[in-house]
Amino acid sequence: MLGQLIEHANQVTVVDMEASVEHMSRGTYRHVDVLLIVLEPYYRSLETAGRMAALAQGLGIQRVYGIANKVRNARDEAAVLDYCAKHTIELVARIPFDDAIVEADRAGVALIDHNPDALAVAEIRHLARRLAEAM
Amino acid sequence: MKIAIVGKGGSGKTTISATLARVFAQTGSPVLAIDGDPNPNLGVALGVSAPALATLHGLPRTIIEQHKNEAGETQVALAEPIEAITTQHGLPAPDGITLLLGCQVDHAGAG
Repeated sequence: MLGQLIEHANQVTVVDMEASVEHMSRGTYRHVDVLLIVLEPYYRSLETAGRMAALAQGLGIQRVYGIANKVRNARDEAAVLDYCAKHTIELVARIPFDDAIVEADRAGVALIDHNPDALAVAEIRHLARRLAEAM
Repeated sequence: MKIAIVGKGGSGKTTISATLARVFAQTGSPVLAIDGDPNPNLGVALGVSAPALATLHGLPRTIIEQHKNEAGETQVALAEPIEAITTQHGLPAPDGITLLLGCQVDHAGAG
């Protein structure tokens, strides 16, 4: 069903996918232009992302990019960069660990409404421009 | 542009999906946001109020049609145009976004 919706959507479409690797099927991803894989600087998150990237290559998705998230310091950034280099994942955004996300989540409001100038929001604005340019 | 976002549970993919959708919508693009997670949280992250979210339901199976082609293979297709589906089943979200729950429901008890 998801694949059918994505195929026929005729506007900018953003799909928040199911977390499990097993559900990545060709039918769902056939009409996806860009797959963004979120990587946190933790072993299990990186390993999950790596499996997703390998599957995505097998599914023939045109553009597969990594996004580093919850980056607290240079060591976090290095951990994600190293992993991406080893697994040939192109990193297109580095979103810092941002208390604004925790606060927005706690209040049950959108991050961009809670603090439109948050560092994480600024990086996602940058990501949107990069994606628009890549199309 | 059709963007799918994946990552381990808790990786922040829902916050990133929602913020990306809002950013595109604020730059003037009509945006369709689809929650593909069976435990849906995208609506809250987009800024939809709890009472409005309570009115949002998963898509019924009837939006998909199955038929067999000449080779006897099962084919699936949307039973209605996408515009009809988003109008009937979508929920308005901030900045003109339309939110859909992408998971199927059986509508138990709905006949």
